[in-house]
Amino acid sequence: MIELNHVTFRYKGISEGGVYDLSLKIRGGEVVLLCGASGCGKTTAARLINGLIPHYYKGELTGSVTVNGRDIAQTELYDLAGVVGTVFQNPRSQFFAVDTDGEITFGAENIGMPPKEILARKNAVAGAMQIEKLLGRSIFGLSGGEKQIIACASVSVLSPDIIVLDEPSSNLDCEAIEKLKDIVAQWKSQGKTIVIAEHRLYFLRELADRMLILENGRITKELNAEEIKKLTNADTENLGLRPMTLPEIHGSHQNTDIQGDVLLLEDFRFTYKDGKHGINIPRLELPANRIIAITGHNGAGKSTLARNICGLERKCRGTLTMNGKKLKAKARLRHCYMIMQDVNHQLFTESVRDEVMLSMTDKSLNDQQKADAILAQLDLTEYADKHPMALSGGQKQRTAIASGIASSKPILIFDEPTSGLDLAHMKQVSDQLKKLRDMGKTVIVVTHDHELIRSCCDHIVRLENGCAAENCPLGE
Amino acid sequence: MKALKLDPRTKLFMIFAVSFIVMVNAVTPLEWAVRIAVTAIPILLLAAEGRYASAIRFTVCYGAALALMRFWLSAESTGVFSAILVGYCGIVVQFMPAMIMAWYVIRTTKIGEFMSAMQKMHIPDGISISLAVVMRFFPTIKEEYAYINDAMRMRGISFGGGRYTKMIEYRLVPLMFSCLNIGEELSAAAVTRGLGAPVKRTGTVQLRIGAADIAVTGFFAASVMLFVFAKYIR
Amino acid sequence: MNDNKLKAKDFITIGIFTALIFVVEFACGMLGFIHPYIVASFVVLIPLVGSIPMMLFYTKIEKFGMLTIMSVLIAIIMFITGMGWLGAPLIILSGLIADLIAKKGGYKRFKLTAISHGVFCLWICANYFPVVVTAESYRKGLIEGGYSAEYCDALFRAINSKTIAVLLILCFVFGVIGAFVGKAVVRKHFEKAGIV
Repeated sequence: MIELNHVTFRYKGISEGGVYDLSLKIRGGEVVLLCGASGCGKTTAARLINGLIPHYYKGELTGSVTVNGRDIAQTELYDLAGVVGTVFQNPRSQFFAVDTDGEITFGAENIGMPPKEILARKNAVAGAMQIEKLLGRSIFGLSGGEKQIIACASVSVLSPDIIVLDEPSSNLDCEAIEKLKDIVAQWKSQGKTIVIAEHRLYFLRELADRMLILENGRITKELNAEEIKKLTNADTENLGLRPMTLPEIHGSHQNTDIQGDVLLLEDFRFTYKDGKHGINIPRLELPANRIIAITGHNGAGKSTLARNICGLERKCRGTLTMNGKKLKAKARLRHCYMIMQDVNHQLFTESVRDEVMLSMTDKSLNDQQKADAILAQLDLTEYADKHPMALSGGQKQRTAIASGIASSKPILIFDEPTSGLDLAHMKQVSDQLKKLRDMGKTVIVVTHDHELIRSCCDHIVRLENGCAAENCPLGE
Repeated sequence: MKALKLDPRTKLFMIFAVSFIVMVNAVTPLEWAVRIAVTAIPILLLAAEGRYASAIRFTVCYGAALALMRFWLSAESTGVFSAILVGYCGIVVQFMPAMIMAWYVIRTTKIGEFMSAMQKMHIPDGISISLAVVMRFFPTIKEEYAYINDAMRMRGISFGGGRYTKMIEYRLVPLMFSCLNIGEELSAAAVTRGLGAPVKRTGTVQLRIGAADIAVTGFFAASVMLFVFAKYIR
Repeated sequence: MNDNKLKAKDFITIGIFTALIFVVEFACGMLGFIHPYIVASFVVLIPLVGSIPMMLFYTKIEKFGMLTIMSVLIAIIMFITGMGWLGAPLIILSGLIADLIAKKGGYKRFKLTAISHGVFCLWICANYFPVVVTAESYRKGLIEGGYSAEYCDALFRAINSKTIAVLLILCFVFGVIGAFVGKAVVRKHFEKAGIV
């Protein structure tokens, strides 16, 4: 079905992420899981199969890739459209249409399938995936999970024999991951060949027939279905992978009195223009100088609460009382610093050092030394003169954290800091958060990453429909 | 009201008609009447999309601008304040109706519909793909810009430390990085689903000219003719 | 495989940059209502600010047609938003010529790219066409339409059939200067970041 024969590929101008002498055979109907740390080459392997390499991403390629008897290098991408389907990582950027129906039928229309057949297929797919209620909606009104399911449907309509998923769960919460799991199971039962490059593994435990672990562009370990099921959390830890089971999160209800200083949120009510989503929190006490996790399903109001605490929503009347001072939205902007989910939005300057200096409010001669000290704390010294956008995702995030520290604001808010991160990077983030706590900051983390919560958070706030359903220290 | 569904070609004609009538200066009462009637359409469309608040806000602004222009501002008014008022009235009266129309069309036209309509008008695929991307990108740019703006406010650099060049740079550069990234991923996702295949694209959206289309087209055609007649022929 | 033909990716790139250029032009355009001299200063403002996305766009051009298609899109958008529909031929013509000039340098030689950008910027002047071509009736219309005589006089002092030549030249000159500005920004950010 799929055969990679001594394939070596290096991206043009980038040293990371290539593959070296990769040979791999995948039989029809197999579910193959590619995993390994960021930059190990698993995404590259996926791109070799769906033809984006060499037709879209340029670089040096040797060896051959054959899919369904076709030589990929000699086949145009549009001829592959009905053979290999791909679901990508970022639900925000993979849509061409602005409505769900148009998106689902997009591929079939491109290859000139008769309209009647497209519609029949669309309805069949929508029925099978139980997404009728998502039809006829605008893409911009969907949650990340819903978008990802539409992306799966739009691949399904072309009914390719092979489906490639490139880190599909990165931006999804547990509920959406369950849905994704069902879809993959459905594809498997239809006899599709499935290749998944992924960091989060637990949802594929029962589905994967084979697991390949890559390191520096080479396959270092291969496991079969039995071995995958036997993997313990200690095993995955040794392999540098995320666990195969989802850790449970429990609040402790024994000792709910907050020790030490308190941040008091009052009257946090806010509704978006659509009138549906929002938060309604009359009163919430949070411990200062702790790492506080805000969790809940997509749409429960996690990000909204974070934005309101930060003071980004002008219309919010709520106040935050800290050290005896009552802060309104505008004042909160001067006390909070948010590290956004997409840190690209908050990097402005031409070098990492400038980025940190931009945040320093008290302009003194020592600025540069201070900046360098902060960079050293975050292991960014060697990148000080680089452009922030030239860095990897984790380094960019640390740059944003560095400028947060430089701003000397007491509250740091993180919005989904670990989406799409491998185990090592997740741990790095967790260490960073602890460091910030030790520096005396209050850290608020919006996340659905149970592993991150387990590893560093002290306190948990669970939101449900915009209300705080749970607010307590994290138990064992 | 949600049932209102117009053919993309009707919408295009609507945009042309509105921007034509609204942009050319009205002088006589008849011309003003036509213009106000035409401006009422975008207001109705806002309401049809459930944006009642925006519809009312715009109606009030429009009324105020009209009153200002009618009773206050004249050939004699001078000074900075009136210049700003003229600016405000100009935006509300001349650009807003066309902008609302453009917003309505972008919001209600599905890419599939648009592509089919372009194909029926024999526009080359390349141009319709590019135009479709432009349409899809306006909301994306808006979204991205909102995030960048938030980040700037949070860091207190909205005014670039008082330097105009920085003000522009801090906004434009991250926006361009974002758009490039999204564009790269968007292209990859589109080509794996056969965009650019050398076959005739099919469309699942059946375009049909309905009663509403005929009525709207008729209304606008009549308005344009009346306006042209009043303006240039009489 | 014909490598000179534009591919889907190129069309998407064109679309993205057209949207960006339009946003820049729209943001500048809103300033124009404050004072008519600002309307005239578009020939300075838009080439300079717009050059940043444009120079990045130039780095993405490898084949003939991308600039031309962009000018067609701009013409369509200008037409739709009611700005300068008399100018459509000028917009497309300047796009085509700019494309030909840049093509001569294989889209790589900066000298030709700068000139090409200067020519491309002439589309901005298309916005003035209604003012110039229909000057008398336009003025009458403006005044009777509620604009002050002060605004109109200033507008016509700045833009008329004599100054349009100056404006065209200014547009070209600042387009060329803009190319250097844009190039500097591209080098400072996008090249340093390894994106282009």
